[in-house]
Amino acid sequence: MTKAERSHDTKTVATPPQAWLMGTAGWFFPGAGHLLQGHWGRALVLGGAVWVCFIAGLAMGGHLFSINFGEEQSSVLLQFPPMIANLGTGLLYGLCWLLDIGFRDDPVQAARATYEYGNTFLLIAGLLNYLCMLDAFDISAGRKA
Amino acid sequence: MVVFALLVAVVFGTVARDTIPDRMKYGAKVFAEFMVIGLALAWVLYFIPF
Repeated sequence: MTKAERSHDTKTVATPPQAWLMGTAGWFFPGAGHLLQGHWGRALVLGGAVWVCFIAGLAMGGHLFSINFGEEQSSVLLQFPPMIANLGTGLLYGLCWLLDIGFRDDPVQAARATYEYGNTFLLIAGLLNYLCMLDAFDISAGRKA
Repeated sequence: MVVFALLVAVVFGTVARDTIPDRMKYGAKVFAEFMVIGLALAWVLYFIPF
């Protein structure tokens, strides 16, 4: 089959609106995207990994990032990428923001031996949840079993 | 590092493969890679004095 024939065979399939809903649910509450589709085993494994990662990060004294416009411009830019990673945990990030858990710049907390480990766990929790969100989206869109 | 590698391996294995044996194999491979590369890097950095 030639390249031209292959590209001719490719059909554009519209993404069902439900897939967007599942993706959003998965982002907002880790594991919910799979749970709502009946994949409870996958929800437990993937959601559980994100929850454990986030709680372990907080327990280690990790810091959650947010944009603080009162600081220098370069400092604001540096906080943007980790904030995007932290935002991946959805509701967990929102709850911590509302309750002011993990957002303070506390020198005592930063001096803890596990502080950087905690930061990494919190960042990875968000990034892993983005992967889980995309997985829930793909399953709902019929691109994955 | 072990907990980190385990959590990431579980998610990567579940997301990237379709059957349970393939997931187990891929998850184990990712876990081993994290551990081996992490320990190797730690030893390399141990000998660098700055």
